[in-house]
Amino acid sequence: MLHDVLPTEQTAAAAVPQARGRAIVVTSGKGGVGKTTTTANVGAALAAGGATVVLVDADVGLRNLDIVMGLEARVRHHVLDVLEGGATLDEALVTDKRVPRLKLLAAAQAREKDDVDTDAFHALIDSLRERFDFVLIDCPAGIEMGFTNAIVAADEAIVVCTPEVSAVRDADRVVGLLGERRTVQLIVNRLRPDLVRKGKMLSVDDVNAILRLPLLGVVADAPDVIVATNRGEPVALDADSPAGAAYRAIAQRITGALTSAPEIPRERTFFGKLFGSRS
Amino acid sequence: MSARRIVVTSGKGGVGKTTTTANVGAALAQLGKRVVLVDADIGLRNLDLVLGVEKRIVFDLVEVVEGRCQLRQALIKDKRLDNLAILPAAQTRDKTAISELQMTEVVVQLGELCDYVIIDCPAGIEHGFRNAIAGATEAIVVTTAEVSAIRDADRVIGKLQERGLPLRLIVNRIRPEMVRSGDMLSVEDVTDILSAELLGIIPDDAEIIDTTNRGEPIVLMPEARLATIYTKIARRLEGELVPFTSLNAPGFFERFFGMAG
Repeated sequence: MLHDVLPTEQTAAAAVPQARGRAIVVTSGKGGVGKTTTTANVGAALAAGGATVVLVDADVGLRNLDIVMGLEARVRHHVLDVLEGGATLDEALVTDKRVPRLKLLAAAQAREKDDVDTDAFHALIDSLRERFDFVLIDCPAGIEMGFTNAIVAADEAIVVCTPEVSAVRDADRVVGLLGERRTVQLIVNRLRPDLVRKGKMLSVDDVNAILRLPLLGVVADAPDVIVATNRGEPVALDADSPAGAAYRAIAQRITGALTSAPEIPRERTFFGKLFGSRS
Repeated sequence: MSARRIVVTSGKGGVGKTTTTANVGAALAQLGKRVVLVDADIGLRNLDLVLGVEKRIVFDLVEVVEGRCQLRQALIKDKRLDNLAILPAAQTRDKTAISELQMTEVVVQLGELCDYVIIDCPAGIEHGFRNAIAGATEAIVVTTAEVSAIRDADRVIGKLQERGLPLRLIVNRIRPEMVRSGDMLSVEDVTDILSAELLGIIPDDAEIIDTTNRGEPIVLMPEARLATIYTKIARRLEGELVPFTSLNAPGFFERFFGMAG
């Protein structure tokens, strides 16, 4: 059997239909809506599902993906080292502690976004696509140079948006800038079903009435995400976390393993609370 | 006498810069100060939404800089607070449309018209950040008690110090119950890490999401818990010594472990 002679990572790659890895940028316009958390968790869920994944932190000068992954102590080289020849790609890739198929390429912390050459960054992402099933690019907030670089090599984009008027407006602007060439999908993050019911928060439908994007997933607001982020442990790897389950479903929708429409988180009912089920 | 020109910045996005700008500005206006708020987030403006003036925008910051209108023509007066006005950012341009020098000129000129110019800085540390801090004489750094926000705030504080800008810290969205359970850093932890002087502590409060979506600064709702807190911050800016008091939130533990102000 062909499968028997291939190393595990390539066997996993065979499960994904593309011959070349997919480059997906995670972006939002507005900061603090959950781009980095989404990148870490979707990446971890894809890797846990068998794919080879590299996470690229494009937020030069304000990197955080290493912290969210709990890998900050293991970063020795960064994207700019690779681009400028100070390190090889293999030296710069940090292997995840939990899922070895998952790698991180950290951003430079003491440098500026203008230091990144757009063409060289494009070439770097292309070379990563030769080696990984998924290249997830964590975009910085805003629509300046860092944004331009982060999206340049991506054919697909995940737009993360919270149910807030300002986040929706910024996301709408970003969708325009992403252009027609890219496949764009939406994750609505930090939904609070109780506030939606009281009319104090936009619903998923409200958000998407403006953005009109294919919905990839909805993640409810949950304190365990903050805790996990501070601890550097993606909730996607926590079987008991509802947010983790949402990220795993998103990963399955990305690979095509799941085709049903995303579930909208609802309030826990009285009986649900009593008996501990998540309804 | 020239105005105080304060930039509200953070590094990380989504920690509450715009909400802080709107509410601290409105609180200062309520204290009788003449306040102009400047949205420096060209291309991704939101301060107009948070203040509910988005439909009244005629001219913007870039048009002022390009000489297409008078500075006063671009200012939108708040309908609720007489001495509050906003200079909106351009939405369809990008941050390189203006230079640091041009921004400084606008901010200094605004300073002749009022007591406080408060500049809402974009996220990040690129061109938009450099513009936003260019004309400021002091800074408010907003952070949450999350590791990533603190790391970004630290980077921004370094850049502000290079410029010699005095700064004070607002720790936003504190959840006392999470601090108590050890799942969130305390305000003391944050101020220790950043070694910065504290200007305010703001608890996490779902009400702010709703008021922000509706374009109504929460300081205009006197019964709201956060209204008191923003007013205290405004009084501290005015030089009053306002103690950081315990949070009068419901719940035994919050009374013991929660602080606010």
